[in-house]
Amino acid sequence: MRCPPASSLIRLTAATGTFPEIPFFDLRVEEEDLEAVAETLRSGWLTMGPRTEKFEGMFADYVGARHAVAVSSCTAALHLAYLGAGVGEGDEVIVPAFTFAATAAAAIYCGGTPVFADIPGKHDLGIDPEDVESKITDRTKAVCAVHFAGYPAPVERLRAICDERGIALIEDAAHGPGATIDGRHIGTFGLASCFSFFSNKVLSVGEGGMLVTDDDELAARARRLRSYGMTSGTWARHSGATITYDVTELGYNYKLDEPRSAMLMSRLARLDRDLARRRELIMIYRRSLSEMDGLTLPYRDEDVATASGYVMPILLDDPDFQREFRARLRERHGVQTSVFYPATHTFTAYRERYKDVSLPNTELASRTEVTIPLFSHLTDEDQMRVIEGIRDSLK
Amino acid sequence: MSWRVPLAKLEIPETDVQAVLDCLRSGWLTMGPRTNDFEQQFAAYVGSPHAVAVNSCTAALHLSCIAAGLGPGDEAIVAGMTFVSTPNAVRYTGATPVLCEIGGPEDMNIDVADVERRITPNTKAVLAVHFCGYPAPVLELRELCDAHGLVLIEDAAQAVAATVDDSGRRTGTVGDLACFSLFSKNQLPVGEGGMVTSANEELVAKVRSLRSHAMTSVTWDRHRGYADTYDVVDVGYNFRLDEPRAALALSRLPRLDESIESRRALARTYRRELAGLDGLGFVWDDAAVEAASHFAFPVLLPDRQARDRFRERLQELGVQTTWYPAIHQFTDYTQTFGELSLPKVEEAADRHAALPMSSGFSAEEAQIVVDAVKQAIAAELDAAA
Repeated sequence: MRCPPASSLIRLTAATGTFPEIPFFDLRVEEEDLEAVAETLRSGWLTMGPRTEKFEGMFADYVGARHAVAVSSCTAALHLAYLGAGVGEGDEVIVPAFTFAATAAAAIYCGGTPVFADIPGKHDLGIDPEDVESKITDRTKAVCAVHFAGYPAPVERLRAICDERGIALIEDAAHGPGATIDGRHIGTFGLASCFSFFSNKVLSVGEGGMLVTDDDELAARARRLRSYGMTSGTWARHSGATITYDVTELGYNYKLDEPRSAMLMSRLARLDRDLARRRELIMIYRRSLSEMDGLTLPYRDEDVATASGYVMPILLDDPDFQREFRARLRERHGVQTSVFYPATHTFTAYRERYKDVSLPNTELASRTEVTIPLFSHLTDEDQMRVIEGIRDSLK
Repeated sequence: MSWRVPLAKLEIPETDVQAVLDCLRSGWLTMGPRTNDFEQQFAAYVGSPHAVAVNSCTAALHLSCIAAGLGPGDEAIVAGMTFVSTPNAVRYTGATPVLCEIGGPEDMNIDVADVERRITPNTKAVLAVHFCGYPAPVLELRELCDAHGLVLIEDAAQAVAATVDDSGRRTGTVGDLACFSLFSKNQLPVGEGGMVTSANEELVAKVRSLRSHAMTSVTWDRHRGYADTYDVVDVGYNFRLDEPRAALALSRLPRLDESIESRRALARTYRRELAGLDGLGFVWDDAAVEAASHFAFPVLLPDRQARDRFRERLQELGVQTTWYPAIHQFTDYTQTFGELSLPKVEEAADRHAALPMSSGFSAEEAQIVVDAVKQAIAAELDAAA
């Protein structure tokens, strides 16, 4: 987005803030998406109903799972997945800290405790199975693996570790979908997995999420819990399937609505094409940036073809350069960057609750990571500006 | 099935559609300028200094309960006649909801005297519900809460723009916090959405922080270069609204008064056309109809069996109805809190049925409902004869 959106609503001056010339993510809504939303709005039915059901079916087919349950966010999906894994008071959930705070927060929602595991190092920013293994206790109920930046985490190995001990594996596939391991989609290796449709994701709608599982009972329970623990929903009553309901468990309002499902369906049809372009851009970045001194590119060239290409992380070699490097890119070159991620265990809320957590690899990565612009309609010309900006800012 | 008259009807005119499409074309969907603008306009509309947009009224209630300081060991007194989200929100915090009585089948709102009886040293808050859009006695509750140092939360999910006194003071301005719903069936519908209003800046800051994972900056701030990173200072949630829904709400807000007036006109029609039917009663009175914002229109039948037959007959005639079960009788509640006796709530739950109510109904549709109700009542009398 070059131009400020909805200019009449914005009161910005140069002195207080500026929009980036090249943002680190950008979302483009195509004409067919607009049609899908307009048609839904005109129908007058906005509550979770036939469109959401259809989108769930399409999404389940896309990843190759039995069930997909649409929810209001990936955070909501994580909450329901942990509940589905039986996480409750006093239970522990092993999570990476090199991710968004929701992965840990959802364990706390259940009354559980997040136990943080480290990442393997600067070449692999996913969860380290050896560290996971060392942190398993009698209270461990689940392990949550994040497919960082859309590069598959070692879920087969984690699954084996978990199965051996009767622990549930949950996949935080917020950075998916579309990544695969030997042709099998991420999100199909755990007991349940969670996807995000937040604005900056590869499949985006604003706010939204999805829980995916092959477990019939877990899916049925997630469906009830997203809708207050009720035994029937508004659409079922409107369509005459039932005329009343019971509430059988403490539930939530985690419902998606029809306009968002309609837009997601429209966008899902283009997802593979978008991912192909993302991978192409990543390979161009990798070829140019790998020749520069002062930075490291995580993962390998051959990993890109099966990744979703959610974001493009680079790691600076100098541990004290992150802020300055980002300021140079923004101020000299108009390039917006982000940090994926400030480590969860270092946030005030977590430091206060869980003292003395030490994750050296995560902490170093947090201090040196810079996320550079990546979105499917990034032009070759703009990408070249980013690359040259990085070259200049490294000096 | 296809209803001749469904419970509610939602019409989204082309101006609303275009507002949403404009927002989508802008490419900025994450909570930002439109949400800010909607919050300000909503606050002004309600007459409250602050409004915070969230993704549902359930989320609004949850965050309000946290902001009120509820936690394990605390009690909150909750109107017994409501949707299950009201007491659930108390439970999310670890506190215990204490369900209380209502006036009776003819006044389904919270009974202030019963609230007073249920206050214990553990009571921290009272959650009053403006049921069906009819204002609860929140001014009396305000005095009671002040006298006992309790937080008053208004559940105004069903009652945006109802009035609590003769001066036209609106619901959502009396409690320390008030929660509104933007659900599809409500007066200001966007699909899923909610709102918190409050005059207390500290409570507002807490709600604002917790709706977005207690992050010290949001995506929109970082996009504009106001912040380059963030801290997480509490265990928060993702309860954000997004821009397309804020755009829809902004587009509809100027028509809200008109929409409520149309609902009120339908309520008046029902009361006029159905008055004096043997075996059919009304809830509340004509004065309450003027003060209410009319989320739903409940009528009373003699007992549960008669109510169920009434609903079945209306269903056969193509008219959709609903009813609110007593929360303390849900399986989850009897299992968690044991058997509870709230005779007035139970009687009201058993005897009421809510007729179709929304702003989009034509005179013909109103007539279909009126005729169907008369027919169902006549059939009941025939069967009894």
